[in-house]
Amino acid sequence: MEYSNPRIPEGINTSKEHPLKEFVILTSGVLFIIIAIISGLVITVDYFADKIPFEWEKSIPVTRLSQFQGDTVAQTLPPYLDSVSKKVIQKMELPEGMEITVHYVNSDLVNAFATLGGHVFLYRGLLEKLTYEEELAMVIGHEAAHIRHRHPILSTSHSIVVGIVLSVVSTSSADAINDLLGTTGQISLLKFSRDFEYEADEDAIAVLIELYGHADAAVSLFELFKSQMTGAEPVEFLSTHPLNDNRITRTRKLSQQVSSQTDVAMTPLDKSFVDWLQQQKRQADRTE
Amino acid sequence: MDLIIFISLMALGYGFGRLAEKRHYKSIILREAALSKLPAVATRIPPPGHQAYDSQLVTGNVVVSVDYFKRFIAGLRNLVGGRMTSYETLVDRARREAILRMKREANRLGAKLVFNVKLETSSIHKGRRNGIGSVEVLAYGTALIPTDH
Repeated sequence: MEYSNPRIPEGINTSKEHPLKEFVILTSGVLFIIIAIISGLVITVDYFADKIPFEWEKSIPVTRLSQFQGDTVAQTLPPYLDSVSKKVIQKMELPEGMEITVHYVNSDLVNAFATLGGHVFLYRGLLEKLTYEEELAMVIGHEAAHIRHRHPILSTSHSIVVGIVLSVVSTSSADAINDLLGTTGQISLLKFSRDFEYEADEDAIAVLIELYGHADAAVSLFELFKSQMTGAEPVEFLSTHPLNDNRITRTRKLSQQVSSQTDVAMTPLDKSFVDWLQQQKRQADRTE
Repeated sequence: MDLIIFISLMALGYGFGRLAEKRHYKSIILREAALSKLPAVATRIPPPGHQAYDSQLVTGNVVVSVDYFKRFIAGLRNLVGGRMTSYETLVDRARREAILRMKREANRLGAKLVFNVKLETSSIHKGRRNGIGSVEVLAYGTALIPTDH
């Protein structure tokens, strides 16, 4: 018997498919499926999440605080802030049992947000930058609208759902894949976050028009946010908030639908409040 | 920023990986042609004959690594299933390289045939779960060396 090792043709144990083609098909396929699953789950969760009673939100520990992330939360609001808040919230038509508590935080941070349990936090950094009462009403109205539409509990539920899906999927993959899936999950959620922002804007603008007859403050507020941006605005696809220009466009569209006077002068903020804010800033700077 | 790093790693892996693979295959085909006169076979029993032979264990082993690009595709395959074509070329090259090294050793000893050839593969983990870093293939067999060599 003669043994030999003849030349064996290539390609029996390997594939001739181009690796880049495989890469594109696999990656886009997986991403598409993940986005579809997450979007489907989020829509399903939204149907159930706002059936969670509002009272349950109040029992979550994060909402009981006099200290929030190291900043002191004031026990009582200054009278002007209190009166504007009450004026705005009254117009919000909150459902039975829903209470909104407005908190003031003496910090340089330019921010305001609404969280679980009906709590709205206004930071001095943002309040200092406002000129008109209408702008203040817009900020309070926007945050109150988030609570009215149960956005905090919806967002929390979204994050939980995405977390569960990703933890199930990621048990069988390497780190780079986990990062990819995690990022995809987050980006899918951002779309819903932006929709919430638009919804809150709508309600706040409606209240502005009811109280003051016009929505110019919304436009001036978004212009203010734009001017606060250092550098170029991040791409909308990757942001929790819509682009300020888009928010302005929608505001203009909405205020044309509702009848409004277009050249009413805006009410400046109460002088006593502005002075009080400056005093607060001096106090904060001293304790730094 | 993470995205940029990721894309760079992928591009690097893809570029260098393809280059290394092409060169390796060229080299493998050349050496296989050169050593084709020394058969390596899997039969357990030496061929019948009257010539006197010395026998000796010969081995060849090789460690081949997979690049970032291949590892990523394999990770996605872990999710959806199917042929991991990115690893198939890796193992194919490793197996053929190991056999070639075994034959080379046999050739140096003046062997005429290597029989009872066996292959063993093991993965060398980098420590990351589900991430196969590199593959080691060992080929071993019995070389038959004519005694009058």
